[in-house]
Amino acid sequence: MIEPAIALYGSTFQSVMKTLEELLRESGARYVMLLDRKGFVLAHKEALWAPRPPALDSLATLIAGNAAATQALAKMLGEPRFQEIVHQGEQNGLYVEEIGEVALLTILFDNSAPLGRVKLTAKKAAQALEQLTREAIVTPNKLGIDTDYRDGANALLDELFGN
Amino acid sequence: MSTINFAAREINFKIVYYGPGMSGKTTNLKWVFGQIPDTRRGDMVSLATEDERTLFFDFLPVDLGEVKGFKTRFHLYTVPGQVFYNASRKLILRGVDGIVFVADSAPNRLRANAESFRNLRENLAEYGLTMDEVPIVLQANKRDLPDALPVEMVQMVIDPDKKYSMFEAVASTGVGVFETLKAVSRLVLSRVATAG
Repeated sequence: MIEPAIALYGSTFQSVMKTLEELLRESGARYVMLLDRKGFVLAHKEALWAPRPPALDSLATLIAGNAAATQALAKMLGEPRFQEIVHQGEQNGLYVEEIGEVALLTILFDNSAPLGRVKLTAKKAAQALEQLTREAIVTPNKLGIDTDYRDGANALLDELFGN
Repeated sequence: MSTINFAAREINFKIVYYGPGMSGKTTNLKWVFGQIPDTRRGDMVSLATEDERTLFFDFLPVDLGEVKGFKTRFHLYTVPGQVFYNASRKLILRGVDGIVFVADSAPNRLRANAESFRNLRENLAEYGLTMDEVPIVLQANKRDLPDALPVEMVQMVIDPDKKYSMFEAVASTGVGVFETLKAVSRLVLSRVATAG
């Protein structure tokens, strides 16, 4: 195995979603998203009033790349890590909090949500999410990724890219 | 390793195109982007300089379809090939499931191919990985150059033991692009199916 896989399901997934819902409500943010360090979305939640979010895949990839670059900068400056990443524009802001070694919590907010409240609620949620993501690290053979899966996926490769 | 999202019933794999500057990594992704239906891919994200050299990475998500109830997706990345971008190149390798090494067939890029391959080995080592632990395929690109070196010679300097499959390509016209991507995808799927 190259890097641990994170699989959120069952009660762990429900707990993550509950934490994200609370965070969304308490922070007043538009969207909250849990992603792994590779830039894959694990779970996300949108406020009912918020406009449609941008493409989540692209967003997650850029956030993970940005976080990785920020931590590399911290190390070069002799810091073990920079605790948080904040970007603020005229209308929208982005706040990223590390969840242990494996995940990132991202909050997108507009200027109706004060940054202080976003940070405070994010830090509270981060504590709960750290424990939950630690429980979600698994090996693939527990997940039904077997030779049947491989053969099915190979057939789709032929269909998409030609024989 | 792959990321499994049970809620969305998705399995995601990360494939990285590596190789020296200007060898055609972004061109490979652009061809894939242009050829497969809109419904099977997401937006392509490119972090490039004004003269279209990759600065951080290019990214393209490809939907393979549904297998055993799981949507299967490949996330394709390129690294910046230029030597001085090594710090950002290293970051892209995090969590990689498979690698396509795109070598340049031009005679004056033989050394650059070798240096980039050595750099790949060093950067994987920083994540505690050896070349044997990650599925890798090779692509000799720019086969249409009038002075293109024999493919055996291109392979000799990066892989003298011929451990990896080598594909000939002209990425600008799509020759060999899908074959290479299919080969690395198969290796990734085989690996995950037998991992334990």
